[in-house]
Amino acid sequence: MKIFRQTFRAMAAEHEIQLAAPDIDRARRAADAAIADVMRIEAKYSRYRDDSVTSRINGAAGGEEVAIDAETAALLRYADECYGLSGGLFDITSGVLRRVWDFRRDPPVLPTPAELASAVALVGWREVEWTAKAIRLPRAGMQIDFGGIGKEYAADRVATICLEHGMRHGLVNLGGDIRAIGPQADGTPWRVGIRHPRVQDAAVAGFDLAAGALATSGDYERYFEIAGQRYCHILNPKTGMPVRYWQSVSVVSPLCVVAGSCATIAMLLEADAPAFLESQGVQWLGIEADGSLRRP
Amino acid sequence: MVSAEAAVAVTKDQSAIGPLLAAALALPGVMPSAAHAQSAPDKGIFEAQYLNYRDWQPGRNRMTVWAPAFYALVPLSDTWVVEGGMVYDSMSGASPLYFNVLSGASIGDYRTAGDVKVTKYVGNTAVSLGGFVSSEQDFLSRGGSLNVQFFSEDRNRTWLLGVAGNNDRINATNGVAPNSKRNSLEFVVGITQALSPNDIVQSNLTYYTGHGYYSDPYKPLDTRPTTRETWAWLTRYNHYFVDADATLKLGYRLLLDSFGSTSNMFEAAWAQALPWGFTVTPGLRFYTQTSADFYMNPPFPRGFVEGQDYSADTRLASFGAITAGMIVGKTLWDGWYVSLRADYYRQDPDWQIFGTGSPGIQTFSARWLQLNITKNF
Repeated sequence: MKIFRQTFRAMAAEHEIQLAAPDIDRARRAADAAIADVMRIEAKYSRYRDDSVTSRINGAAGGEEVAIDAETAALLRYADECYGLSGGLFDITSGVLRRVWDFRRDPPVLPTPAELASAVALVGWREVEWTAKAIRLPRAGMQIDFGGIGKEYAADRVATICLEHGMRHGLVNLGGDIRAIGPQADGTPWRVGIRHPRVQDAAVAGFDLAAGALATSGDYERYFEIAGQRYCHILNPKTGMPVRYWQSVSVVSPLCVVAGSCATIAMLLEADAPAFLESQGVQWLGIEADGSLRRP
Repeated sequence: MVSAEAAVAVTKDQSAIGPLLAAALALPGVMPSAAHAQSAPDKGIFEAQYLNYRDWQPGRNRMTVWAPAFYALVPLSDTWVVEGGMVYDSMSGASPLYFNVLSGASIGDYRTAGDVKVTKYVGNTAVSLGGFVSSEQDFLSRGGSLNVQFFSEDRNRTWLLGVAGNNDRINATNGVAPNSKRNSLEFVVGITQALSPNDIVQSNLTYYTGHGYYSDPYKPLDTRPTTRETWAWLTRYNHYFVDADATLKLGYRLLLDSFGSTSNMFEAAWAQALPWGFTVTPGLRFYTQTSADFYMNPPFPRGFVEGQDYSADTRLASFGAITAGMIVGKTLWDGWYVSLRADYYRQDPDWQIFGTGSPGIQTFSARWLQLNITKNF
C-alpha cells in the first residue's frame, strides 16, 4: 500500500484527498477524476460566476423561469426536504441576508431594523416556483445559493468517484467537511478531530471514522463581536439575526451532505437541536455557548 | 493533535436511516453504484473478441473453431439502452464429442448468430425485450425474450423475472429427419443482493420446457425423447478483499434434466488487481454429470432396442470434467481494456463423483484462447 495525497483549492477553501492503494497511478487517476468533478460543481453552482446555474437563476428573479437539469433539480429537492424538516430555518434563499451583514467590515456595524426587515422580506423558499424542469424566483432581488450543501455534496461525489476507481482506503477533506472512502491502509479507522471553537488549531474531541462523513458547523468561521456579543454568519432566515445557542455542532452520517445540513440545521434550531438530531438518527457532538460538550 | 477529551466511536450499526439521509440518497453520485444492483448504464461499451478453440482425444485432433465476435451496448437516453452482438463461427474437423464416429466424415461448417436487446428503465423497474437468431447450413434458431427487473429503493436488491421462447429448425445435410422442428420456453426467476459494499450474491432458478426434435441427425440410431424439461439452479457469490485488492468469485449450479441426467458444477476464481492496471484471474471449475437414461455405453450399438430411445453420444454419458483457466487483463488509457483468456478442459469418466463414470469412453481435452478488446465510451 502506498499513500497518495493531493491538496487543491476550490470553492474558496483548501481541500485534500488522501488515498492508500497498491497502485499509485490508479490512486492519482482517481484523485484527478474526483478533483475534476469538484471543479465542475464549483463552476456550475458558484454564485461568483456569471455563467453558473445559480447566477442564471438569480439573474432571472422576478422574470422568466429558468430551465434546470436533473442534478440541479435533485439538489433543489434535497434543499426543499431540509427546509421542511427544519421548520423553514434551512432556507437556500437566505443568502440575501449577507447584504446587511458584512463580517469583513472594520469596525463592524449592526444592520438597522429597517435594513434587516427589507432583507428578510426577500427570503422565502416557500414562494419559489420550481419543478423538476424549471425554477422561477418570483420577486426581483431574491437569490438562491447552494453554499449550504454544494461542498458537502461534492465531498460525497469525490468518495464515490474514488470508490468507483477501485479505491478502498482514503479520506476526503473538503474545507473541513470530511468523508471517509474507507479505513486507513491498516484497516483502522481515521481519527478525525473536532476543532476547538475558541482556540485555533486545538481539538476538543475526536471521532473514529472508517466510513461515512463528519461535518461541523460553527460560529467561528465568519463573525464579529460588538460589546462582547458574538455575531456569527449563521443567520436565522425569519429574523435575519445570527444564531446564538451553540459554538459548534458536529454530525456524523453516512453521507457528508446529510452531516453538513444536519449540523447547519442544528445551529439554526438552537435549543431544539438535540430532538431534531435524534429524529435524524445521526451521531453528533455539540459545544454549547459556555464551551461545555453535549452528546446524545 | 486530538486531545481526546471526548471520543465517539462510529459503530456500523448506526440507527435507522433518518429522513434527511433518505432524501440525500436521491442525489446523483453520492453513493457508489458498484455495490448496488443494476440501474441504467450511462456509458457505452464496444467489445471485439477473437476465440480459438481446439479439442482432441488421445491420438487425434478433432475440431478447431475460429470465432470472431462483436458486442455493443449503447445508452440512447437516461432510460433507454440498446445492446446487441454478432458472432461468426468457423469450424473444421470431426464432429465434436462423438464417440465411435462411423461416417468419419469431416465437417466444415459456419455459424452466424446475432442478438439484440432493448431495455427501458422506469423508476425501480427495467423491462428488456430481446431477439435472437442463429443460422448454420443445417440449423436455424430464432428466439425472443422478455425480462423484467425490479430494483429495491436502495438498489441493493434486484429481482428478475424472465421468459424466453425459441424456435429451431433442423435440416440435416444427410437428409435425416428433414425440416424438423423444436420449440421451447424458458422461465427464469432470480435475485441479486448486495450484502455489503464488498459482498454480492446472485441466485437464479430456470425452468426449461421444450418439445420437438432433440436427436442428433448425424449419429446413427440416435433417438431421443421428443420432450425435454430441465430445472437449473445457479448461485454465485463474490467477495472483495479490501487489503488484497482482489475478488473471490464462487459459483455453483445444479441441473436436473428430464433426460435422466443430473449435473453439478462448482467454480472458483480469484481476480487479483496488480500494479499498472493489470488484473490476473486464475479460475478452476469442476463439473460432474450422471448419464441420460437412454445413453448406452460403448461399443456401439450395444443396448439398442428397436423402438426405444437410444444414444451413444458421449455428451450424455456419466463423467467429470475440470476446467483450469487464466485471464490476464490490462486497463489502457481512455477506456480501453485488453484481455487474453486461456482455458484448458479435460473430461474423464473417472472424475464423476456422484456415481460411477461411464465405462469405455476416452478422455477428452479442449483448450480455448480468447483475445478481447473493450472500449468504454
